[in-house]
Amino acid sequence: MTEQTDPLVAELARKLVETLGLDMTAEAVDPAVPLIGAGLGIDSIDTLELVVMIEKDYGVKIDNRAAGVEAFASLAALADFIRQRRPASPP
Amino acid sequence: MNTRPKVFVTGLGVICAGASDIAELRRLLLAPARRFQSSTVFPVAGESAALPVAQVSAPDLAEADVLPRTHRLAMLAARQAIGDGPAPDAIVLGTTTGGILTTEFALQAGVTSPAAYRFHGLDTVADYLAETLGVRGPVLTISTACSSAAVALSVASALLRPGLARRVLAGGADSLCRLTFHGFRQLQLVAARGATPLDVNRAGMTVGEGAGFLLLESDPGGRSMLAQVAGTGLSCDAYHATSPHPEGRGAALAMQRALAEAGFEPSAIDYINLHGTGTVDNDAAEARAIKQVFGDKVPALSSTKGLTGHTLAAAGAIEGVIAVLSLTDGLLPANTGLETVDPKLDVAPVRQPTRSPVRAVLSNSFGFGGNNACVVLCQPSQVNAVADARTDRPLALPALRVAAAACLSARGALDDTWAALVAAEKVAGFVPDACFAKAAPAAFIRRLKRLPRLMLALAQTAHTASGRSTPPDLLAVGTAWGPLAETQDFLRKLSETGDQFSSPMDFIGSVHNAPAGQVALLLGAQAPNLTCSAGDRSFEQALLCASLGMAAGARSALVMAAEAYDAQLSPLLDAAAATSPLASDGGAAFVLVPDDDVPGARVRWLGESGGGDGGTGAIALLAAIVAPDRYDAIAVSVPAALGAAADETLARLAGTLPDYPLVPYRDDLGQHASVSATATAIAARAVCEGVLPLGPIPLALPRRRLLLLQLGRHATAIEVFA
Repeated sequence: MTEQTDPLVAELARKLVETLGLDMTAEAVDPAVPLIGAGLGIDSIDTLELVVMIEKDYGVKIDNRAAGVEAFASLAALADFIRQRRPASPP
Repeated sequence: MNTRPKVFVTGLGVICAGASDIAELRRLLLAPARRFQSSTVFPVAGESAALPVAQVSAPDLAEADVLPRTHRLAMLAARQAIGDGPAPDAIVLGTTTGGILTTEFALQAGVTSPAAYRFHGLDTVADYLAETLGVRGPVLTISTACSSAAVALSVASALLRPGLARRVLAGGADSLCRLTFHGFRQLQLVAARGATPLDVNRAGMTVGEGAGFLLLESDPGGRSMLAQVAGTGLSCDAYHATSPHPEGRGAALAMQRALAEAGFEPSAIDYINLHGTGTVDNDAAEARAIKQVFGDKVPALSSTKGLTGHTLAAAGAIEGVIAVLSLTDGLLPANTGLETVDPKLDVAPVRQPTRSPVRAVLSNSFGFGGNNACVVLCQPSQVNAVADARTDRPLALPALRVAAAACLSARGALDDTWAALVAAEKVAGFVPDACFAKAAPAAFIRRLKRLPRLMLALAQTAHTASGRSTPPDLLAVGTAWGPLAETQDFLRKLSETGDQFSSPMDFIGSVHNAPAGQVALLLGAQAPNLTCSAGDRSFEQALLCASLGMAAGARSALVMAAEAYDAQLSPLLDAAAATSPLASDGGAAFVLVPDDDVPGARVRWLGESGGGDGGTGAIALLAAIVAPDRYDAIAVSVPAALGAAADETLARLAGTLPDYPLVPYRDDLGQHASVSATATAIAARAVCEGVLPLGPIPLALPRRRLLLLQLGRHATAIEVFA
């Protein structure tokens, strides 16, 4: 399965654009681009907004810096991060 | 040469976790013991229950009362500060929570009666104090997040200096509530084991509650002078909505401004009471800012928030009280909770309560929106002899020239609004979204809801129209209800998830000074940044704050006020929205400069007077300020909430001032709390054009001078002339 067709990546891209009010389409988010920093213009408040969304929707906590660096390396990395830690059944 | 009248501290009042009065606070400072606990003010479930808060424990608060907790905390501290002395003639209060705790319970219970929400407004705290304590003069409410009380001390000092008041009760109050507790929790800023400011392992703040007051007097007579407010300094980071500037740029600026106003070298400061919340970023930025200001000669310093918790809008006042006790008792308070100082901070906080003579204290308070306020307090002997407050000081504030004006109504911007009024059409209703959709670049406003977008559009339009290439020297914003959509969305999402999750953005956006912080960001304005939330007189109070700043030397001010209607909360909170057939929002902005020989409209704040439901206050106010044959008419804002009392007041006004046509304007312009700003924009145009297009028929203005009167619990008056 390529990144482009990964359904979790596509779902996260939709949520990313919607939650943060980004001026772009979900399809336009490159799954490989770093989520934090210049690329998407995401700042620390956006990151916290995503942290809350990920815990609420997927039951996965991001509560320390190392986890944040790993999770927000890219949209694809975030999907992997969630898959590895997701509880057996959704919360 | 320093010719400002002195500002003396003659009374203190405090209530916070671990101390219900000054004597208890003294004992607590000498033997610091943290009293953090799980909240019992509101139920906390799940993992959040383990997060401690700094909760006040007082028998008076345990009893059921119709008054919200913030109001009661404020009264407990205010009575201490006044003691058995006469009533103050003004109040300046900082608060961010007002009656929100009560509102939260009512919303959860699905209560739909507006009566249950009548103490929600931030202004109801100070107005309750004023009514109970018999305060008839200006009663101001400042809401600049965690710097609110320190800004209140600054505004109170500014009121005393031109002699507008002689005795001002100044301070702050905030109660614990779900909004702030869960808001800071969602920002990951609450320490699981309690705040440990400056510690290498610090992990956030402890949300607290409380109230503090300082009674400030210019002419204390025989009363004991505990200390003096030597100077205050305000600034705005204009950097980010919540994160402090990493180098503490705005914080350093505020400290330098406070020292400059005091006329002190940094070496005059013997103790710094830090903002010191215990969050990683705040403590790092504050330490850097202190290095910038004090170099390698940093005075003794500590954060007392490891002891009291972070009492938010009350913090600047509670820490102001601690600063006074430091001076009177010769005490350096300890940095409670500290184990190992973060070596990266390169500071040496006071580890144990230490006896040492203290000549002057710097107290720091910083809030969301990069809103910084610093206060320098000193021994009464430390300021050079200055002119007495009673001598040759004008009681009136200067008129300011309107360099540019902007407004937003249901009919759009100022030109369209004016044209509609000239065509005898009303402009009440909602501002069309298209009028503010392009307030700023898309990336800048993507997270912002209705109120900040309205404010940005107003500010940008007025600033551009003024032709000024530099940001204003001062930013003063009024909003009665603040960002309601953000507040409502935050609480709704929280309830929907069983108090587990909500939006950090909505919390950040919910503070009343968030729109002002956005305006500062847009304009790059590191100037003093004030937000007044005083109900229907919020605009007038913003104008007062700006006028005080201009009297003290500012060369330009951006003054504005606006409301954004929220379909759920507005009808519950604002009786005008609930009873008016046509719900409205909007507002206006002005760039004001000192009076000069350039033609155009002038605006001048004239006064505020309390008593009754506007009737008594308004009559007293007009009797004091209105000369015959001065005005063409009196334009009156009659909030729908006043009901039948308004007709009686208008009849009394007509009887008192038979020569002046009374022009009630809310039917034409809209029933919302910031409509007096819109009316001022229309009046500024009207005095230039010589005709006022309000009321049943256009009114000729041969004198080109209008009085604008705002009725309510306190009446306010401003004049507009050309």
